[in-house]
Amino acid sequence: MLKMLLGRLLAIVPVLLGVTFVVFVAMHLAPGDVARTILGFGATEERVEALRAELGLDRPILVQYAHWLWNLLHGDLGQSIALGVPVSDVILDKVGASLLLMASSFVGAAGGGLLLAALSGGAHRSMRDRGITIVTLVCASLPPFWIGIVLLYAFSYQLGLFPSTGMVSMVDPGGWLDVAHHLVLPTITTALSSMAVVARVTRGSFIDIMNSPYIFAARAHGTPRRRLVRVDAMRNVLPVFVTISGLQIGYLFGSVIFSEIIFNWPGIGLQLYQAIIYRDYPVVQGCVLAVAIVFVFGNLLADLIVHALDPRKRA
Amino acid sequence: MTLPSADAGSSNSFDARRSRGIFRSLLSDKSAVLGLGLLALIVGSAALAPPIAPYGPNEANPALRLMGPGTEGHLLGLDHQGRDVLSRMLYGGGLTILTGLAPVVVAALIAVPLGLVAAWVRPAGAVILRLMDVLFAFPMALLAILVAAFLGPGTLNLLTALVLVLLPYAVRVVHQAAAHEVVLPYVEALRVSGTPVWKILFVEILPNVAPPTIVYSCTVLGSIVITAAGLSFLGLGVQPPIAEWGVMVSEGRSVLFVAPHVSVVPGLGLTLLVIACNLVGDSVRDALDPRTRATLNLSDNV
Repeated sequence: MLKMLLGRLLAIVPVLLGVTFVVFVAMHLAPGDVARTILGFGATEERVEALRAELGLDRPILVQYAHWLWNLLHGDLGQSIALGVPVSDVILDKVGASLLLMASSFVGAAGGGLLLAALSGGAHRSMRDRGITIVTLVCASLPPFWIGIVLLYAFSYQLGLFPSTGMVSMVDPGGWLDVAHHLVLPTITTALSSMAVVARVTRGSFIDIMNSPYIFAARAHGTPRRRLVRVDAMRNVLPVFVTISGLQIGYLFGSVIFSEIIFNWPGIGLQLYQAIIYRDYPVVQGCVLAVAIVFVFGNLLADLIVHALDPRKRA
Repeated sequence: MTLPSADAGSSNSFDARRSRGIFRSLLSDKSAVLGLGLLALIVGSAALAPPIAPYGPNEANPALRLMGPGTEGHLLGLDHQGRDVLSRMLYGGGLTILTGLAPVVVAALIAVPLGLVAAWVRPAGAVILRLMDVLFAFPMALLAILVAAFLGPGTLNLLTALVLVLLPYAVRVVHQAAAHEVVLPYVEALRVSGTPVWKILFVEILPNVAPPTIVYSCTVLGSIVITAAGLSFLGLGVQPPIAEWGVMVSEGRSVLFVAPHVSVVPGLGLTLLVIACNLVGDSVRDALDPRTRATLNLSDNV
């Protein structure tokens, strides 16, 4: 196990290098002169030259990359153009809020997905199965940026059940409960379509496994159906479930950006959106890099869990 | 949306008899018919926008701005500038479908030669696959945002960003199917008989690689429609005042509490479009992928 962990960690190094290179090179996709684009067309020639030198744009691209990477390894991602503070400070400031929203969405998506899968896949072709299949089809097709707006209008504006913006109440900040209250709508927005995808794939695995000989044997022995679903089939569904849940991490990152924007959640996604609007390219780079790194390690974690759950893979 | 497993489909040959069977199985599948019908309705109404839309997409009647659905002469109401929402929906449908469909088609067309060559020439293949691995390290939507943010806003840049993001997945699908083929005896026989490499790849192997590629493209379509509209929602894709459903949802946000229909209607249209894409995608996969079909038959017997 330890050997495998070390191997995976080593394999991550070239991937992370590649990620940093892609994020770095993306800046050079910007049409025309990057420094000019950042400063806008009103900027003086001296100012543009100064920024170009500051960004190192007058040097060969590989040298620029090496320099940028070296600074990155020292925690230096450059300065935010719009905010005038180091990018690393901006990101560290916001990463907690995003991770909280990600974590609650992940738990919701995976937990809800597994529950729906067991309810429908364990009773294949029943009315319940059909109903859940339709619901998950619709949920999997909902654009996160639209369902967020609908939830905001219905539950926050019309019914007044949940707050519409921010992470804590401005008037009366009240600890964890207040945060949890603010977390409900953004979590649903982020998690809904991922939950549906987890449910659909896991349901398929449930159906396959419920038809396998060992389940027939257990049934013939008189094991109650509930126990078949919850215990006997569950054990073999878990690797598929963990794999598909792990794959959702990436999709959740995409949805988190939208729910942060809609609910004004003070995380990386909202910061990224603002940085895009202000053309604050170093912050865009920093945010994308932070998310990609978390994503790579999230995938590794999912891999390790599948490995631990499925004895057949250990051979 | 998650990407369906790359090993969808296998090496079975895709002959005419089987393809007839596929169409029949698609038509006998109720959800496929529903999906195709819905898709035909949306595409048809978008294509017929100029003759059937009551107003132009940017024709404004400021006196009636923000009036809700059911207003005299404006079935779905008016937006914040007094433009008819129904007309904008009809005119915007085409671009919404196009920004989702075009990247999928273009990515598949680029991925086929790349994947085939990667499977045939091992060292080149290793390099191509390593390069693609790096792109897998990004969440899809995030990479699209990164590329679109630096390319700058605009419809063409949106399409470029989406093609770039889709490419690694499509190449992996083609490569996996092609790598399965190149080791088979018929390829060996072709090689020995002196058939030119391009002919082996693009005439003999290609038809066997097409089904998984088509399955992949169909299943991914729905999520690309969402991603494309999402980028436009963020201001990175189609630019206002052009009518496009993601842009319309975004425009409606500022008047959400006064006139929710401005955001809700285009989002509803988008959801229906994606449901249709997903229904068709699922059915195409069931029809073309012998593995899931086998499991379905198995459960039928129980």
